[in-house]
Amino acid sequence: MRPMTITTSMDHMATRTRGFSRRRDVRQVVALWAVLTVLGVVFGLFVPARLMGPPASPTMRGIEDTMTVFSVAAAPVAAVVWAVALYSLLVWRHKGAGPPETDGPALRTSRPAAVLWILLSSVLCVFLLVWGLAEMGSVATAGSRNNPMVVNVTGNQWVWTFDYPDKGGVQSDQLYLPVDQPVVFHVRSKDVIHSFWVVKMGIKVDANPWEVTQTSVVPNKLGTFDIRCAELCGLLHADMETSAHVVSGAGFTQWLQAHGGHA
Amino acid sequence: MDARRTLTGGALTVLGGALVVTLTGIVLHRDGAEAAALSATVKGTAATSRGVLPHAFLKLATYPDSMAGAHGPGGGVHPDWVTYGPTSALKVPAHSLVTITIDQYDGGETITNPYFATVRGTVGGTMTVDGKTLTKTSPDAVGHTFTIHAAPSNQDPLFVSVPLPAVAEDAPVAPNSDYPAPHVVTFSFITGGPGEYVWNCEYPCGDGYYAKFGGAMSSRGYMSGTFTVS
Amino acid sequence: MSSAELASRSGCKRTEVMHDDCRTGKGDTMSEAMVKHGALPTAEGGGGSMRHLNALTAVAGGVALAALGWLISHHFMQTDDPETSDQVVLITLGCWAVGFMAGIGAFAGPFRWLLGNDLTHADEMHLAGKDQGVGRYFRFTTDHKVVGVQYLIVTMVLLAVGGTLAMLMRTNLIVPHSNFLGPQTYNSLVGLHGIIMVIATIIMVTGPFGNFILPIMIGARDMAFPRLNALSLWLLVAAVPVLLSAGFMGGIPTGWSAYAPLADQATPGMDGYLMAIVIFAISSAVAGANITTTVLTMRARGMTWTRTPIFVYGVVASVGLALPALPMFMAAQVELAVDRTMEGQFFIASGGGSPWLYQNLFWLFGHPEVYVIVIPAVVALMELTPVFARKPLYNFNAAVLGIVGIVGLSIMVWAHHMYASGWAPDLNGPFMLTTEMISVPTGVLFLVVIGTIWRGRIWTTVAMMSVYAMLWNFIIGGVTGIYLSDVPADYALHGSMFVTAHFHYTLMGAGLTGAIGALYYWFPKMTGRMLSERVGFVSFWLVQIGFNVTFLGMFAVGLAGQPRRVFTYPHMFATGNFISTIGAYFIGIGMLITLYNVISSWRSGLVAPANPWGGKTLEWAVPNPIPLANFEVLPVVISDAYGYGEGDPQPPHWRADPHSPATPELVPAGAGTTISDTEGSPQ
Repeated sequence: MRPMTITTSMDHMATRTRGFSRRRDVRQVVALWAVLTVLGVVFGLFVPARLMGPPASPTMRGIEDTMTVFSVAAAPVAAVVWAVALYSLLVWRHKGAGPPETDGPALRTSRPAAVLWILLSSVLCVFLLVWGLAEMGSVATAGSRNNPMVVNVTGNQWVWTFDYPDKGGVQSDQLYLPVDQPVVFHVRSKDVIHSFWVVKMGIKVDANPWEVTQTSVVPNKLGTFDIRCAELCGLLHADMETSAHVVSGAGFTQWLQAHGGHA
Repeated sequence: MDARRTLTGGALTVLGGALVVTLTGIVLHRDGAEAAALSATVKGTAATSRGVLPHAFLKLATYPDSMAGAHGPGGGVHPDWVTYGPTSALKVPAHSLVTITIDQYDGGETITNPYFATVRGTVGGTMTVDGKTLTKTSPDAVGHTFTIHAAPSNQDPLFVSVPLPAVAEDAPVAPNSDYPAPHVVTFSFITGGPGEYVWNCEYPCGDGYYAKFGGAMSSRGYMSGTFTVS
Repeated sequence: MSSAELASRSGCKRTEVMHDDCRTGKGDTMSEAMVKHGALPTAEGGGGSMRHLNALTAVAGGVALAALGWLISHHFMQTDDPETSDQVVLITLGCWAVGFMAGIGAFAGPFRWLLGNDLTHADEMHLAGKDQGVGRYFRFTTDHKVVGVQYLIVTMVLLAVGGTLAMLMRTNLIVPHSNFLGPQTYNSLVGLHGIIMVIATIIMVTGPFGNFILPIMIGARDMAFPRLNALSLWLLVAAVPVLLSAGFMGGIPTGWSAYAPLADQATPGMDGYLMAIVIFAISSAVAGANITTTVLTMRARGMTWTRTPIFVYGVVASVGLALPALPMFMAAQVELAVDRTMEGQFFIASGGGSPWLYQNLFWLFGHPEVYVIVIPAVVALMELTPVFARKPLYNFNAAVLGIVGIVGLSIMVWAHHMYASGWAPDLNGPFMLTTEMISVPTGVLFLVVIGTIWRGRIWTTVAMMSVYAMLWNFIIGGVTGIYLSDVPADYALHGSMFVTAHFHYTLMGAGLTGAIGALYYWFPKMTGRMLSERVGFVSFWLVQIGFNVTFLGMFAVGLAGQPRRVFTYPHMFATGNFISTIGAYFIGIGMLITLYNVISSWRSGLVAPANPWGGKTLEWAVPNPIPLANFEVLPVVISDAYGYGEGDPQPPHWRADPHSPATPELVPAGAGTTISDTEGSPQ
């Protein structure tokens, strides 16, 4: 680059100004970081879980909490990067057409920054892991306690079917579940791989040919919920959908009896 | 660079790109489009469990090859594929009793999922085959199924599945026909509100090394199509 | 210090302003000068049979052998079952590839060697494309600069095709039940778009810039194995029509991941897919071995590992990671081919195989693959950040360790794609651990970039703005990746549009953005012309805004429960999809403007000075157009290339090598005029 000629006294002044401006830079970046963090936290608290909709099981409630907690935890980290980026564009941008005439400070490294950054990101990583493991544990035991009801789920190219082996073998194209009753799904496929997904209950497991996979849930909300296929399974994958009806215990018995089963 | 030249050049490139996308889109649209829809004919009304409703009729057929149906005189690109006819795009009125009659010309064997050997979702859970009322057919002699389903969100659920018994392998070819005498399958169901549904066959009768759901089974216009309630 | 000074130190005097269009090949003035001074023998008479071989003979050879293969296989396999038609298709496509490679001359060298005829110097000169004008871009040319430009063209063609498919898919999804494309057409487009873009993004940085720029950056005259370099490029070219042929044989109904057993059920389009993957994997292995060897053995004297530019690390990490990863993919596809043609039962559970075997093989490739794509793109941006911030790269050692950490962890995370598959649920915890650990080295790369721009003199060119776009997009891509790494959250999100949006934020938002930034940065060196900054900013904002609109909309519908790879959807997702489609059109327009910028600037853009940005890496020290052998005098490196703001005037970081072999004195010292390269702005 073009050599600069600076006299000693100017150099001295420049050093002082630089020291002053460095402190001001840090202060303002921290302020910007705080603002962005608050925005990120507000976003994390209100947006992801809301987009996922009201949960229909404790599992889904846990997942939405995870989304919220992870978003809130990510906000300050993302805000560091974005605050520096934004501030550099606002304040350190070289104005004018050509290349900058001087170079920036020859800052090769800064041990505290590197140590702090790696330490904090490692701590955050451990937190995410511990949170995830705890959440996994509660999901795994969700439906297996208290004598769960077994429902066989069969994926067949483009239609889900269900049967209730303990309830007289009732078969259905829609899923009926009694509220607050733990249920275990035995999922299998007649052909290719499908993925059984009850969206608002937060459960999903692939349906594989010649293998039985399991997932379990305790539906805790009355209503009708979407079941979709989450693994591309050919022509009508998009239409491989049906409904899960969560009804009262009495309503469920009534439904079973109407379809030739028993409670 | 000259600003006007840049503007012209940039605009031309964008237009050229848009043209390429549009032309490709038109070609693919024609390639993948369904034949013209067949609308059910409404004849009078019928008393049902949901009150007196308009009564609509549809007549379909299944063929062991594509010489009949909507694929043109030579059978189209895949004359040897099994197909439904006369078209795969079906339209029926909302809040009506719909009666569908299917002439089933094709043979068959064991169905992969016996669930579809039973009649589902029709009035009374029954169908008539050559005049006899049945609730299911043997899972080992299914020719095809006619199965309507779709995304239930934002529209009334509609699930109807009817097995079409196979025509015997050694059945003689009927006079004045290319095929043996068909099984005539009739069934009725009640539609809810308007919605976009699909139908397909659940008997694996297509190509592919695995599970026989390729070829005709995986191409709209042969063993699957749209079912519009309007 | 200006590069003109550097140039004069190296004894390289530029005697004329080179205004001629480099496309015409007139750019070889330096080599011509070499010839004139008798330093090198002429290429006259060299090349032998290679003189008659080019892209046309390659296509002719490919078509001829494919026709022969089809006739023979069709004749001997006259049954109608699907396995037979798959056999015929595979044999035909294989014959195409062999015929094409024979027609381009890939086998001429080994064949001559077999006959005992080693290549003469004149042959080598011919192979290097000397004095062949634009024709050298259509031949089996070994010059790494030609190969780099060829890779750039192939990348742009693939991106254009993949982008066209993306526009059609988004158009189909603009309203629910649009009926624009039927389901089989849509599903095919999903697969084709996916695999075309994956191949395009794997090559988009390591291909054009890894071949063109990297050897100069490390002070080499060419790659370690120039003929393997040409081989890898032409194998890739041979694979493109094979891949596109899938679209005419029933398409790829499986998505780009081609999960068995759906892939066992598919039409012969699947054979086009798997054959293309096999050819591409060979091409990639050849390229990876070549680039790795080049960097290991051909760095300039004095270029120790701590003085090696970070971009070199990124490219080696990428191709080095691809070396073990792509063979997994290739093995999976060979097994799929055996399944499809000979009832191999590798992936058929009823025959004793396992669909989970496919998924494991696929993701053993597939997860390293995303880093194969992202690392070089992000590292290219890290290379140009010091130039436009006028500061040293912040914490070089951390950057290297970050790359190493990502590479090391990336081969241990593959099964996070299989949390919901039912395969080995006990492994979900360990894979969650490795996946979340990868956020630490990735975070280090962010630290390096923000540390470099901290208090810099930010010169906001399009290239530099790409760094900012990456900082925005890659954070979003990374954070959403953390949600997906969490096993319970993945049960809600796996297979949904959320995943699609997430990986587009990484592969496109960071990857493609990085590649475009790199293109703006290195285009002047590759073509001798500047890309228009003004046009560049128009496309930059269109693409970046369109991109964020598209994929934020997709996040929303994904969270609400829309599965990915669907040709239609219920009305509940209508708003998000409409927004996504409108955003996608903006990306399309922006990308077309980028294309226009490349074409028009290449033809008639501002003539680039040798060092328009004031960069310090070695590629900026060679003149435009670059001589065939890159350096008249090989450099000795005495410090790293990031010494911005250190010393006044800054000491040079390299000098001419007194022991440099083949140092033809082109012109007497002091003759001619020295052109200052950094005076004035390129605009």
